Amino acid sequence: MSDGGKRPWELPFRNPGWAGNTGEFDLTEAQVRGDEYVASRPLDGGHPSGAPTYPYMLADKDPDAPLFEGPYRVRYEKILTRYPDAQAALLPVLNLAQELRGHISPETMDEVAGLLGLPHAYVRGVATFYTMYNKRAVGRYLIQVCTNISCNLCGGDEVLDAFLEHAGVELGGTSEDGLFTVTEVECLAACGFPTAVQINSRYFENVTPAGVPDLLDRLRAEAK
Amino acid sequence: MAYPYTHEKEVRLLSRGWGDPATRTLAGWQAMGGYEGLRAALELGREKVIDEVKASGLRGRGGAGFPTGVKWSFMPKEKKGVHYLCCNADESEPGTFKDRELLRWTPHQVIEGCLIAAYAMQAEHAYIYCRGEFFEANQVIARAVEEAYEAGLAGENILGSGVSIDVTVHQGAGAYICGEETALMNSLEGRRGLPRVKPPFPAAAGLFRRPTTINNVETLCAVPHIVKNGGAWYRQWGSEKSPGTKIFCVSGHVVRPGNYELPLGFPLESLIHDVCGGFREGRRLKAVIPGGSSVPILSAAECVDCALDYEGVVEKGSMLGCASVIVMDDSTNIVKQVRRMVDFYAHESCGQCTPCREGTTWLSRILVRIESGRGTEEDLQTLLDLGRQMTGTTICVLSDSAAAPVASSIEKFRDDYLALIRRGEAVGAN
Amino acid sequence: MENSPTTTVTLTIDGREVTVPKGTTLLQAAQTIGIEVPHYCYHPGLTAPAQCRLCLVEVEGAPKLAASCVTEAGEGQVVRTQSEPATEMRRGVLEFYLANHPLDCPICDQSGECKLQDYVHAEGREHGRSREPKRVFGRDDFGGDVLFYGDRCVMCTRCVRFMNEKAQDPRLTVVERGNRSIIDTFFAEGVEGSPYSGNIVDICPVGALVSKDFLHKARAWDLDHTPSICPNCSQGCNIDLHTRDNLIQRMKPRDNPEVNEHWICDYGRARYEWPNRPDRIEAPFVRQGDGQVAASWEDALEALDARLSAAQGPVRAVASPFAANEDLAGLAILVDALGGGEIVFRSSRAEAEIPLPGFETLARRRDLVPNRKGAELFGMTRVGGDDATGGIEALENHEGTVIVLGDDLAEFGASFGAHAGLYVYLGSHAPSASTSASFVLPITTFAEQEGTFTNHVGRVQRFWPALRAPELARPAWAILGRLAGGLRGGAGPSAPDEAFLHAAEIVPEFEGLTYDVIGAGGAATREPAALPGS
Repeated sequence: MSDGGKRPWELPFRNPGWAGNTGEFDLTEAQVRGDEYVASRPLDGGHPSGAPTYPYMLADKDPDAPLFEGPYRVRYEKILTRYPDAQAALLPVLNLAQELRGHISPETMDEVAGLLGLPHAYVRGVATFYTMYNKRAVGRYLIQVCTNISCNLCGGDEVLDAFLEHAGVELGGTSEDGLFTVTEVECLAACGFPTAVQINSRYFENVTPAGVPDLLDRLRAEAK
Repeated sequence: MAYPYTHEKEVRLLSRGWGDPATRTLAGWQAMGGYEGLRAALELGREKVIDEVKASGLRGRGGAGFPTGVKWSFMPKEKKGVHYLCCNADESEPGTFKDRELLRWTPHQVIEGCLIAAYAMQAEHAYIYCRGEFFEANQVIARAVEEAYEAGLAGENILGSGVSIDVTVHQGAGAYICGEETALMNSLEGRRGLPRVKPPFPAAAGLFRRPTTINNVETLCAVPHIVKNGGAWYRQWGSEKSPGTKIFCVSGHVVRPGNYELPLGFPLESLIHDVCGGFREGRRLKAVIPGGSSVPILSAAECVDCALDYEGVVEKGSMLGCASVIVMDDSTNIVKQVRRMVDFYAHESCGQCTPCREGTTWLSRILVRIESGRGTEEDLQTLLDLGRQMTGTTICVLSDSAAAPVASSIEKFRDDYLALIRRGEAVGAN
Repeated sequence: MENSPTTTVTLTIDGREVTVPKGTTLLQAAQTIGIEVPHYCYHPGLTAPAQCRLCLVEVEGAPKLAASCVTEAGEGQVVRTQSEPATEMRRGVLEFYLANHPLDCPICDQSGECKLQDYVHAEGREHGRSREPKRVFGRDDFGGDVLFYGDRCVMCTRCVRFMNEKAQDPRLTVVERGNRSIIDTFFAEGVEGSPYSGNIVDICPVGALVSKDFLHKARAWDLDHTPSICPNCSQGCNIDLHTRDNLIQRMKPRDNPEVNEHWICDYGRARYEWPNRPDRIEAPFVRQGDGQVAASWEDALEALDARLSAAQGPVRAVASPFAANEDLAGLAILVDALGGGEIVFRSSRAEAEIPLPGFETLARRRDLVPNRKGAELFGMTRVGGDDATGGIEALENHEGTVIVLGDDLAEFGASFGAHAGLYVYLGSHAPSASTSASFVLPITTFAEQEGTFTNHVGRVQRFWPALRAPELARPAWAILGRLAGGLRGGAGPSAPDEAFLHAAEIVPEFEGLTYDVIGAGGAATREPAALPGS
């Protein structure tokens, strides 16, 4: 059918989300992302108030990394100071474990349960409730494409297809080179910047089907 | 440099610093008058702070629109142990994208709001429950909290007042339902994010079974301005029952989607056509979801003369919710979009209440069948019946939310469904 | 009726006024007047999460239907459980339960006692409307005696809460969320070895959790239920014996807040089969020369009367702590009529108790017999080791009168009692050590007779006959009472309640107790007056 010419994602106006597209605004990527305002990451001895957040998702994951040593131990201990009981630290500690290991395996759940003195089955119940805990290993880049209503109206499905095609994967699968896992994700709260895509910890906004190959090339270059 | 696209009709109160990286920093925020609200609050005293917030008529921006000052006054005056404040930054309602902007551009505004609220309600710890996916916003707000501690604005003996308030940024892990206040508390306690049965209400037994108040990010962001300038000042915008400004998140088929801070009561048509630049050439309005995916859909006719405040949208048969305006032009395949929303609710249902656990998936399966041309006219009746059976029968309102767009779309866009059922033809492409 | 306004509330449920203590929920208040509101997640022994949404009732003036399991009854409330909105909503909720249910009732053990069947039959739609493919979870072995059929599960989470709150051994959890949520354990670790896990089968309102032991063994409607007392330790858990074809098929807890609330331990539950043992003593046997020959009761008792009247030498008796108070009383009275003598008993004892942490009144007790306390109240002495052997070696060659009630004398051979002036063996089975007995008399087991046990804290509790005894077996109290009557003149008790009255005459702690007083729930014994100086 006729759609009046332009596809929805070809609308002229863009707010400055980051996909190399800041429209008419001269903001750098770091300024948009706020990367300039991360003076002391919790890992580098930052304040305990921020310890329960993970500032980044490591591209280099080590499924066998110990829980927890060195700076991670420090951060783990800082987390515990922020809650009245160990149970409340469960989510932040699972976050920390995933930051290191890339996914939360049954063994990891077990270890976390042991660390916090929680029943194993309980930790499993909690870990499986939350979608951000990867229950199995994912690629170096976990690409999550929003296909919820606002993005969908503006072509989210086409963007997802483009990722699947150019990364050469099935939905939920990981590319042969281990670089990309592509999944659908529910609304990323960037509805004004359709289509929104989250890649590891970073948001890429205003992503169009045509922009997908460049984005993947950028990631391939980063991975080298 | 101005971000995002601005419009002269906007009143940029909460969104004033957006697009300016300097605003993120403590120095930048203070240069804009930041933390004057906190100082004013400490001078006014707890009761007067609550009085000002009551006088302002500020209503909760998370969706329900409950008067904030009244909510605060539910907290025990006689303190018999720890009180908590939670800032609900688990923004995940489809169509809503204001809190992430508030967090990443004006983190100190959020913190200042938290500190004032915590002070007024004698809470010694404020948790900012930040959505898990917001890594970038997270690192910004975490840095801002760190700065606030360094400057003596948070932690022990704030600004020499003798008041101590801890602030912790807590990151979620991917669950829409944790935006529901009792589910948020469960999640913060390290549990599955299941909404709790009320009573007890959070003000009596909330986080860690202690008196707790939960406010949305945008609500807390309005507080410093109100305390600094007075409740009456805030009422210069908006209507008697819905005073103040509101950040409208406009997404979908408009030329300039984005966040626009406007006085409550702003006309919907003007928002779409003037502020957001209307539609692509040759397109016209088909439907609007005025308050995030959980509220009933408005047809084009219902958008005429619709005032965007809590009462105005209810008059038209929907709700303002968190003012997330999803605009759909006539290229929209309503059945597909409703199915996509229901899929979302099925995915995000916590699964404790049966009508929601089973109903959301059932709705989705019927809609998939209709979308693929295998539906029947009886299916429409079944959808409506199931929706009724899912409304008002569960602990929280996720189930009601899933049913609302289904029922309203069948009522208002029945022909779109019938085209698929009778002829296998979809109306609209997107 | 005088009620302090602060402690009770009066409300109207379905047009009937009811006064309940403050804090009572609507569901409980309705129960007090016999109105049953359907429910799955609510269980009286557990916290109520109000998530099954089936107990919705209409409260006048409330904007929404109320979950009656968590809504407290309020003064002057008007509640309707059967109004159009309430029944329509419950019908709606029930339809959701069936959307993914496999409807495999013909092969489901729960069929016939299934709350999903009951509620749908009572309030559900006639036909389901789902045309969609059903979700399939399959089966899982949870370990222990528990098998999980995921597709039948209604996600009431009673099992999870039982393990968390009562067993305090949180091995079960809900994993995943939404429509994919399911009960699970932490991978290989099931409920295996958790000593109260069998209760999750009982509290499962549907056929999701079933007993492996009972799997496909009997249909619920073919089972007879008889109230009884678990005989496998001295806790005295109230139970129901479920029987079919004159065999006990399984044992289920019977509610008693004073003893076992709603629970029993797996140890007791697993040991339900011994009363089914087939090799019973089928008739009274009387020694003739080298052998024992079957006799009629009339002949046997007549001969025994004569022998007892002529009995010489001291009397020594062995009782069984599996015997009822009535039986033990009969033995004590007979021994007394014979001039007195020592009565001992032997009983197994476990190394440790197994408590239920969430209901501390209940534990699998160390004494693995039901009536040790009763035997002691009758002045009988426990002898031997914790394996229920030893301690009676002196009886083997005792030359006076030997009476054995129920003890199987496991460590003795055929020569036991060969030197006795008179050796009477009363039992349900004839062990080798009964070979030399002058009289072998068939008695009933606890499952075949009416009687009482006294539990470890002195609570007297009744049980009822669940099985038909072999034709010629008699309750021991009847036989022993008849024999004592023969010695003293007069008749023995003619019914168990009368036998209990005889017991109460010789045990001061039983004073004031009758079968009526004890009722179905049992009654505590009277505290004996403390001895001066003790």
